Amino acid sequence: MNGEQGALAKFRESLAALGERVTHVEMSDEERVRRARAAFTSGLDVRMAVDLETCIHCGMCAEACHFYEATEDERYTPIFKLEPLRRHYRRELSPMRWLFRPFTRKLSAAELAAWQPLVYDACTGCGRCDMMCPMGISLSPMINVMREGLAAAGLVPDELQAIDAEQRDHGTVFGVGEAELRQRIASLEKDGVVIPLDKDRADVVVLTTAVEVLVFGSTLAATARIMQRLGRDWTLLTAAFEASNVGLLAGDRAARRQATRKLVERVAACGAGTVIVPETGHAYQALRWEGANDAGAALPFEVLALSEFLAREVEAGRLQLAPVTNGASVTYHDPCRQGRQGGVFEEPRSVLKALGLELRETASNRRENYCCGGGCGEYVIRRAAPLRQKAFEIKKHEFDSTGADTVVTSCANCRVNLAIGADNSGWTRPVRGLAELVAENLAD
Amino acid sequence: MTLLDFARGPALQWSLFILVFGVVWRVAGSLLFMLRKDLSKARRRKSVQDGMTVIVTRSLPAHPFEKRIRFQHYSGYAWHITLFIAVLFFAPHILFFKSLLGFGWPGLPNGFILISAAVTLAILLALIIRRATNPVLRTISNADDYISVLVVAIATLTGILSFAHIGGRYETMLAIHLLSVEALFVWFPFGKLMHTALVWPARYQAGAAYGRRGVKA
Repeated sequence: MNGEQGALAKFRESLAALGERVTHVEMSDEERVRRARAAFTSGLDVRMAVDLETCIHCGMCAEACHFYEATEDERYTPIFKLEPLRRHYRRELSPMRWLFRPFTRKLSAAELAAWQPLVYDACTGCGRCDMMCPMGISLSPMINVMREGLAAAGLVPDELQAIDAEQRDHGTVFGVGEAELRQRIASLEKDGVVIPLDKDRADVVVLTTAVEVLVFGSTLAATARIMQRLGRDWTLLTAAFEASNVGLLAGDRAARRQATRKLVERVAACGAGTVIVPETGHAYQALRWEGANDAGAALPFEVLALSEFLAREVEAGRLQLAPVTNGASVTYHDPCRQGRQGGVFEEPRSVLKALGLELRETASNRRENYCCGGGCGEYVIRRAAPLRQKAFEIKKHEFDSTGADTVVTSCANCRVNLAIGADNSGWTRPVRGLAELVAENLAD
Repeated sequence: MTLLDFARGPALQWSLFILVFGVVWRVAGSLLFMLRKDLSKARRRKSVQDGMTVIVTRSLPAHPFEKRIRFQHYSGYAWHITLFIAVLFFAPHILFFKSLLGFGWPGLPNGFILISAAVTLAILLALIIRRATNPVLRTISNADDYISVLVVAIATLTGILSFAHIGGRYETMLAIHLLSVEALFVWFPFGKLMHTALVWPARYQAGAAYGRRGVKA
């Protein structure tokens, strides 16, 4: 077992104990319903209203969902996962509510609880159904609102609730705070990696995540080596290094905003013009696409996914790579929230091309890519493991069909989930991070 | 006042009023919902182009995801097309539109219209049966899903019966056909038939929202 495998095994053990840390908030059923309704109302906007009015219940979204495809369980039809939200809209907010109300059941606490596994275990908010709907309905933003309603009602699954509370109340994720970060960096420095911490001013701020610190230190080291090679004025802020936003995953709107605002304030104080989001899909969505909305103003810096940054530097000729000459082939897994929901499709492929690797696309790629099966915090939910494994099998089949030597991706959470799925099924195809490949092949 | 007079007179006027007022009310009410300004920096600023593109592309067949939904997808196309043929190109219908709009257009042979209407009806019945038996559709369906299909199916059926002089006196069957169409008009703004009006903004906004992130929705 190599260091990364050992770290992953330890990380998996810590995931298993997450749920035990939760302190449940006592709440009456009426209060749960009241809070969920308030969150639904404040979360809906004109786009969602039009979408809810337009749905013809054709059921085609089921065919886009990896959980439905893996199980053929009709409850996993994406539009069905939104049923409480749809009913709330119909009763309380629709232009025809005066007519619909007598014919539309009120929400109940039992119903909200029943929807928890559908919204958290059986949906990763991947947005594949958004690409499918013949009416043009975007379901994934409404899944976020569903999660916000359930979170307001105290119905987030225990494991996700635990890490959400941890980040909200302590500012750490998976127990990783400044001390743990410094410890990891110290160990990397023994290998010659230089990570400039807490510079007062820097052009670029690089973020990392607890998962990188705990499991994929190689990605953090690779990022540092690349920055060092580029000679950029960069820093990593110990007070604002965490790119993960668990509030976004859990549906905890206040926690999401708090984490984003803290990050934005600290980075802005550093005067950086660019922030590099590490290889973590949802972190890119949280800062690049939701960051300004949560901060309440346009961001004073540009936000780049690490793969975007690498592509920009390679294409500009500033980052010289030594192309691989052994004829190795790779396939690329698009993290949903960087790709389909973030628009980062071609940049990682451009880097892989510059590395001289043969890129073999999976049958479903880019906007149609399948989720790894554990995105949006799903992989921390213990009870969802069997379902997750079934979804992973779809992904595995897609990877295997390419015949590529290695799977490459730009998301540490996808890597964790793929590694767990591989471990459970004896799958041995290597899964690598893009930055690692780049750092290993820097031109002399 | 005969049944036919009623169907041609007050029933038609009131159903058209409900149709127009209801459609305007529901579309305006939906579009006046809270608008959230997206403060993120757009990767691409071609919202109109991206929105209009998705209006077209989501109408196109052979979607890469639809390996298992061919019947539903193509039957949907088929019944919409055959229904429009029967509604728009049957000579008596054209006369009705001419009385409303002040102009008409050439019709199609009656036999062709009859076949179109029959195909529409057959597909609608198949879709209702499928909705009731397919686990996914049964789970996500509500009364609206059945009522909306039924009102269209009944209007089509009564049209065929009155055309073929089956079931009673022609005037009576014509009145029943008109009343069934008026029932459709009345139901239209309240049920999912409203997708006729709302599908366009829904597709547009999906294209524009994803487009600003650089994704071709």
